[in-house]
Amino acid sequence: MKRIGEAMKRCSWLGVVVVLLSVISTRAQTASPASGTPTAPPASAPAMTAPLDVKAAQPPSADDLAKGDPSGTRTGTIADVVVSDTNKGLTLADTVNQVGQNRIAINFVWTLIAGFLVMFMQAGFAAVETGLCRAKNANHTMMMNFMVYGFGLFAFWVCGFALQMGGCAPAGTLGGASPLNSEHSISLLGKTWGIFGTHGFFLSGVTYDVGVMVMFLFQMVFMDTALTIVTGAAAERWKYAAFAISSVFMGAITYPLFANWAWGGGWLSQLGVNFGLGHGYADFAGSGVVHAVGGITALAVSMIIGPRIGKYNRNGTPNAMPGHDIMIVLIGCFILAFGWFGFNPGSTLAASGNGALRIGSIAVNTMLAGCTGSFGALLYMWLKFGKPDASMTGNGLLAGLVAITAPSGFVNTVSSAIIGLVAGVLVCYSVEFVERVLKVDDPVGAISVHGANGIWGVISVGLFADGTSNYGGSWNGVGGSVRGLFYGDASQLIAQLIGVGTLLGGIFCLSYAVNFVIHMVVGQRVSAADELEGLDIPEMGALCYPEFVLKPESIPASVTASKPAEIKAPLRVAQETA
Amino acid sequence: MKLVGLLLALAGWLIPIVTVVMTQSATIRMAVSLAGIATILVGILVVLNKAHVKEAIWKA
Repeated sequence: MKRIGEAMKRCSWLGVVVVLLSVISTRAQTASPASGTPTAPPASAPAMTAPLDVKAAQPPSADDLAKGDPSGTRTGTIADVVVSDTNKGLTLADTVNQVGQNRIAINFVWTLIAGFLVMFMQAGFAAVETGLCRAKNANHTMMMNFMVYGFGLFAFWVCGFALQMGGCAPAGTLGGASPLNSEHSISLLGKTWGIFGTHGFFLSGVTYDVGVMVMFLFQMVFMDTALTIVTGAAAERWKYAAFAISSVFMGAITYPLFANWAWGGGWLSQLGVNFGLGHGYADFAGSGVVHAVGGITALAVSMIIGPRIGKYNRNGTPNAMPGHDIMIVLIGCFILAFGWFGFNPGSTLAASGNGALRIGSIAVNTMLAGCTGSFGALLYMWLKFGKPDASMTGNGLLAGLVAITAPSGFVNTVSSAIIGLVAGVLVCYSVEFVERVLKVDDPVGAISVHGANGIWGVISVGLFADGTSNYGGSWNGVGGSVRGLFYGDASQLIAQLIGVGTLLGGIFCLSYAVNFVIHMVVGQRVSAADELEGLDIPEMGALCYPEFVLKPESIPASVTASKPAEIKAPLRVAQETA
Repeated sequence: MKLVGLLLALAGWLIPIVTVVMTQSATIRMAVSLAGIATILVGILVVLNKAHVKEAIWKA
């Protein structure tokens, strides 16, 4: 009996499909009748609002449902399709609407879950940065990473999201998000240059919309990644108040401005439409928008704030200041690698339609680049210094992930592996260059991991994009797929270089100017006495490890040989108490 | 000198944009973009950074 019942159910489903197909083919036959043969008068198609024969589909009865459904065959049937008019019952329009809603629901869930993964990357960054700092600053470093989430989110809600996405145009994969349709543009040299959006302040008014909420969450967690990068470069000497002000400004203005130009319909994305430069500046998931903005701002803050006491001798040679917990650094790297599965594949903003099934390729590209990045750094350090260095290997993994972020949606696996390998070696060279040549102190290597490799990622789009992707038939308003120099389009590389110039020239200058003003008004750096004691007590009021006995700081004699007295005095106190 | 470095960086950013608008030649666009990036790097990493290193805490 059971088998007969199930066979009848399958027949009834077939019946529904046959009805639908006959409706569709009837309409097609009406549009293009075969030539030369007399056609039968078209059968009248059921109206969209005509009720469908639900009983033919044999939905499970209430008694059947009450018995439970261990196999799942009675759960999710025609009875679950939302009916717009209970008096009429289920109609063809209801069924078609459900198909559309299902597609958008799939995309919502995918985008939100990806966003949750990226949010969790905050824990990864906190772990990496705190582990690479000294124990006496662990509370302070951890608190910067903890609260950058809150400061950034608040600033983004107030105005950052509006400036970034207020005029980004409807996002088809998220049901339209049509309220984001107001971009402030200027007309220059005969072209329209989008500068910033103007809809979405406080997510109120017309932007109180389900699609906009999904977009906000996803964009916010990306913004926060950029903000947290800066905390690593300025760690161990950054005033907490100055960090707070700097982060709020970056979340409200600096990041959203560049993000609008790249992702919000602004002028960088329109370089293809306006000037024939490939598909305009293409940055799939944010090597430039997120990582390079963070790394470049980190460079600006590090320059203003200066190096840690004891980092450099009087002759300019650097001293190593190892972190206090390699284990947490590498665990943090794994957390970041896990979160990156939300960062890159999630940037399709879809798992249904518009080429979204490429999410598997994007995830594999991401993994591969991280893998070869760690190989590159591991081999470089092992060959040059005789040992595989743990912190640089971790940074190599991150460098590969940063570099693949922009090209992940446009390249194949071989290119991904190459991009990651180059990134792993590049980060090692860059760390040495920043420390030894520029004499800029960066405790965690943020400038090299995110700045240098973010730029490498942007450039690699212009080299390796292979033209096989298809996200709705166009990108940035230009038809066809993104293609780089090695696949026949040099103009795409030019668009990427314009983006690099904007990051290095425009964003650096803005970040430098803002942080210089903060330095003049509030002061960016703690006092020498606080820095030598460790920031946990003076800035946070509590040690991260209150039960541990921290060894007294030993500063090389070449540093303390001369003034200023404020450096010498706390040393004497530390030596006396020790 | 810090201001000179920043102005060099701004010039290295804006001049290629104007050039890209005014010419269709891919070769010129590529060359000017690369020159612009080089100018920016000189402005930031050489001029501006040197001014900061001059007053660094370890030189006191």
